[in-house]
Amino acid sequence: MSVDTPLPEAAPPAAQTSELLRVEGVTRHFMVSGTRIDVLYDCTFQVARGEVVAIVGQSGSGKSTLLNLLGLLDRPSGGSYVFDGVDTTRLGEGRRSRLRGEGIGFVFQQFHLLERRSALANVGVPMVLGGVPVFRRRARARELLESVGLGHRLDSQPHQLSGGEQQRVALARALSREPALILADEPTGALDAASSRMIMDQLLAQAELRGAAVVVVTHDPKVAERADRVVELVEGRTR
Amino acid sequence: MLRSLTAGIVLAFTGSRANIARTILSCAGVVVGVGALILVVTGSDFGQRYAVAYSEIQGGRAATLQVEINGDVTDRDALEEDLYRAGGEQVSLYQMPSGAVRVRSGGADVPDVEIRGVDPELGDIRRITMTRGRWFTEADRESLAPVLVVNESLAASMGDLTRVQIGTDRWVDARVVGVIADSGMDFTWQSAYLLRSPATEEILFAPPDSEEAPQEGFGFYGGSNAYVVRLDPDHPGVEDYGEGFSESLRTVAWRWGVEDPQNAIWSYRADSAEMLEEPLLYMTWGLLGIAFITLGTGLLGVLNVGLVTVRERRRELATYRALGASRFTLFVAVVMEAVVVSVVAGIVALAGCWALAALGSAVVTELDLVPPGVDLRVPPSGVLLGLGSAAAVGLLAGIIPAARALRASVVAGLRE
Repeated sequence: MSVDTPLPEAAPPAAQTSELLRVEGVTRHFMVSGTRIDVLYDCTFQVARGEVVAIVGQSGSGKSTLLNLLGLLDRPSGGSYVFDGVDTTRLGEGRRSRLRGEGIGFVFQQFHLLERRSALANVGVPMVLGGVPVFRRRARARELLESVGLGHRLDSQPHQLSGGEQQRVALARALSREPALILADEPTGALDAASSRMIMDQLLAQAELRGAAVVVVTHDPKVAERADRVVELVEGRTR
Repeated sequence: MLRSLTAGIVLAFTGSRANIARTILSCAGVVVGVGALILVVTGSDFGQRYAVAYSEIQGGRAATLQVEINGDVTDRDALEEDLYRAGGEQVSLYQMPSGAVRVRSGGADVPDVEIRGVDPELGDIRRITMTRGRWFTEADRESLAPVLVVNESLAASMGDLTRVQIGTDRWVDARVVGVIADSGMDFTWQSAYLLRSPATEEILFAPPDSEEAPQEGFGFYGGSNAYVVRLDPDHPGVEDYGEGFSESLRTVAWRWGVEDPQNAIWSYRADSAEMLEEPLLYMTWGLLGIAFITLGTGLLGVLNVGLVTVRERRRELATYRALGASRFTLFVAVVMEAVVVSVVAGIVALAGCWALAALGSAVVTELDLVPPGVDLRVPPSGVLLGLGSAAAVGLLAGIIPAARALRASVVAGLRE
């Protein structure tokens, strides 16, 4: 590099740009019985606020591992992950939990609703963790369940709901703290075609309504084609 | 930190409510242990109150001496002055009449009545529970008729208390001003207190008729001149069980004409609550030890259920983490669940003990086995110890499962 080469301009703070997250050169490996298994090699991509990104790839390509890293449930072995202007790779566990609770909502393939608790209580859990007072919590949970068409099932427990309804409760729960990012791991994987379409309609509509970005991991081409952008993972590398 | 703590507590409560079966399962051992603790404390408290009441009724309140002076007293006023000088704060005669006193009501003899001459001060020295009427007052000393307070057994035998007469060689109309409760220890023994006054001077202190045998002493208090004296609790005579007090009196015995004071003057502690305290304390500690061992097994039960459920709930706990719960929140939630379970068990045990105590109290009161005012109830210390131990057991039993919950992988938990 010559001395005349101009320095690159400093990146503006993320909050002032449309960038929500940036993954740069992220790697992840695991040690199993003394053997190193590389899952992610060199992942680099960004997601803008309000953007819908689908991550696709074959089984074992590292989609779920990448999603866990994006959700701050796991730490990368190398590279950096900046979320909402914060470099998360150096954050302590407490800050990561807080950032996850405030900024990220999860929709899981198996819903992960808490058994023996009503839909209303399930939607309220993230707000309990966020210290939202009980009356506001109940009102907000009710409003969210009504917005996903479950206003009549507030007191139903997970085993009393269909798969599609359970996933809608999970969606309402993911939205409860108005996160900037919704991470959906095969959200339609356990649903029939009609329910899948309905869930994706609601996920995208609610995210758009609230200005949240969506990163959805999927095998389903019909789901992927509804994204603004597709990131393909091939043997642990993004394309 | 505060938010995490609050969130942990809220999650613990909702978790316990949602898992009623697990909560009940965990409770059993703690219910038995805490129940045993509360019962021991209740029994100990009852025993202490019973001992104090027994002592105060039979012997006097704390620091009461029984003083006996054998032989003729030539100057009773000087003797009583010296009882105060030696350290007595309250003094009452406690004297059996020198002759055999008979009692009748409505013209019918009432046999086997124990009579003691006393002063109004006895009402302060001893625990006297009136069931009717009143205790003696100084004004009663002006009465021209002897004034009596009788126990319930005697009142029942006499029937009409307005036509009572007493006497040795002749009948004198007497006035009954009050009825005291049977002590619970005297069963149907008939007794009466006779107020010392000018009207009873002859009955109480006249030399016994040579043809009439003097009334035999009723056990312990059969001295010819007997008093009960309440000392300041810090008086040395309390600690040495009256020896020093006797010694003080002996030095001035010449003032009231008693010969051979060394052998004629005796005083000893009449209140016995303090002496009962020590064996009661040892017994309480022993039983508390057993109760704590029982509680320890309850703790192991809660710990076991906690460990099993943490393993079963890996997915649920991982979900909490994914939704933003910090490690501290999760730790608090798991520990608090154990605390909630234990405190619920403590409340159940407390309710059971309360019911048992109420039942026991009704039985002993109905059977008149306890002195008046001594009921069987769970004391505040029992409530505090019971619930405090329950919470402590929950805390101890929750820490290990909580530590395990923190070590579990969130990603692995979500895959389950």
